[in-house]
Amino acid sequence: MAAEGLPPAVAVEELAKSEPAGGTGSTGIPGRERGDRIRTAIAYAVMFLVAALFAIPFLWSVSTSFRTLADTVAGFSLLPRHWTTSGYHEAFHTFNFGQYTLNSAIIAGAITLSNLFLASLGGYAFARLKFPGREVLFMLVLGTLMIPDQLRLVPIYLMLVNWIPGWVGHLGWHNASFVNRNGVILIQLVSATSLFLMRQYFLTIPRDLEEAAKLDAAGYFKTYRKVMLPLAGPALAAVGILTFQGTWNALFWPAVLLQDKSQYTIPIGIANFVGAYQTLWPPLMAASVLAILPILLIFVLFQRYFVAGVAAAGVKG
Amino acid sequence: MAVAGAKRRQVRGLGSERTREGLVGYGFVALPMAFFLLFFIFPIGYAFYISRYNWQIFKGPFVGWGNYRTLYHDGVFWSHAVRNTLVYTAFVVPLQMALGLTLAVVVNQSIRFRTFFRAAFYFPSLAASAAIAAIATYILASDGLFNTILHHLGYHHSNAWFAQQSTALPSIIGLNAWTTSGTMMLFYLAALQAIPVDVYEAAAIDGAGAWRTFRKITFPLLKPGHFFVAVVSVIGAVQMFDQSFLIGGASGGPNYSTLTTVLYLYNQAIGNIKFGYAAAVGVVLFAFIFTVTLIQRPLFGKAEGA
Repeated sequence: MAAEGLPPAVAVEELAKSEPAGGTGSTGIPGRERGDRIRTAIAYAVMFLVAALFAIPFLWSVSTSFRTLADTVAGFSLLPRHWTTSGYHEAFHTFNFGQYTLNSAIIAGAITLSNLFLASLGGYAFARLKFPGREVLFMLVLGTLMIPDQLRLVPIYLMLVNWIPGWVGHLGWHNASFVNRNGVILIQLVSATSLFLMRQYFLTIPRDLEEAAKLDAAGYFKTYRKVMLPLAGPALAAVGILTFQGTWNALFWPAVLLQDKSQYTIPIGIANFVGAYQTLWPPLMAASVLAILPILLIFVLFQRYFVAGVAAAGVKG
Repeated sequence: MAVAGAKRRQVRGLGSERTREGLVGYGFVALPMAFFLLFFIFPIGYAFYISRYNWQIFKGPFVGWGNYRTLYHDGVFWSHAVRNTLVYTAFVVPLQMALGLTLAVVVNQSIRFRTFFRAAFYFPSLAASAAIAAIATYILASDGLFNTILHHLGYHHSNAWFAQQSTALPSIIGLNAWTTSGTMMLFYLAALQAIPVDVYEAAAIDGAGAWRTFRKITFPLLKPGHFFVAVVSVIGAVQMFDQSFLIGGASGGPNYSTLTTVLYLYNQAIGNIKFGYAAAVGVVLFAFIFTVTLIQRPLFGKAEGA
């Protein structure tokens, strides 16, 4: 479906470099400078205005997270009248967001590690090893991007309730339940996006290095681990960051599978909070800051890896 | 390559080396493939199977197309869930595209802080939907920031925007147009940068102004980009769940005004434990999304090379 709809990887790569595209640079034609300058001024004005509009909701929530409850109903003030961290204290202790943060980190961390391993191993095989049916299997992987979560909800739920516990029981793990954190992790062990990103990256690595490893009679797994993985740093970073961001924010599967409050993630905690105590704004805003802050940090530090995700999203659709 | 490798290893011979590589290949993809088959491919068929039974907590009797017939006559599904989803899609998709294109054109100018602005516009797409919805609930509350600003501008609106039946869905449309515009911006940027520079040089020599250049050259040349963004946007819109779940509660309130098809499915499955019926809803939605993708193709032209 989407392979042709994809913006070419090269074009997306260009985004990271932030070179302007055609049509905007100076054309070298005399008499056009004034027009260019006016256009530039308008562009600046629009950008600052829009950036301010985009930032206000976030800044306002940060401001409120440091307020007292009384302050939130005492009329407009840009900054808190009395700075306090009680919103955070309540969020953490009274409303269990400390526990929810830990749960979010466990789920997102486990899924990220598993994606890194399975996607790099599979991506290496799809990029480098020749086996019959390789292309068909890879198309099958990409095809999974077209299967929406809502179609999978009921079958997966019933499989997790009825089948998987029996299967793992045979492996010696008795009375396991998967309508909980385990299920959320199990059904997201690897994604087609991760596998696709890893394969595409491995395809760009020159073959000479593997040939050298082959001469040393290194096995395929050793070649993967000692030669290919160390070279795949950027792709691993992109997969890790995108998977973590996606699962940290995710609402759907946790909403389906997490029933015990002690396993709630931050988004589920927020959904629950909004329903129950909507107008306790300071702790709610503190929880929101808590949900956003790690992603903001990752984004500021590793901005360019997110571009890879946009390229990969092109596979969907 | 394989031949060269094999020549060096004449002792083992070509065939066995190939066999070994093939077996190792299967071994490496075995785990991911088993995962995709079990949790993606198999559920398609299993969902259809479940949908043919009166399946509640336990599998009940076979009912054939019974669940689909019930769905066909389901008033809440059609006049609320489907209607809201279609209204939402009809408004949010053009808004996302227009905002995304505008932002893309603006941040594509050769000016300073371009990278910063791109990042700033993109960030709402990356933040947790739950956190954004919570912040929006706060800002759009009856005594929230938005009503305060409106008050100073002379408009008096004293209701919470998400709590009122007439404004809840439009507010969600506005919210999501904002949060996803950054993603659409990046897609459009990629499409903009694929337009060859000499096209613009020719236009400049002809003395075409900025607006005329955009309207006559940039916009038509972005056709593959439009198609791509439209497909991504529609597919996202018809699957909207998060904001309704967070803002309207599981029931899609107030009075079903934010109930979407996916939220309805979720309620039938997780709330009412009607697995057979929910599976039927899922199959119908899947068929619908699949059709939309196929129909959109000729409408926007084939996206060759974006």
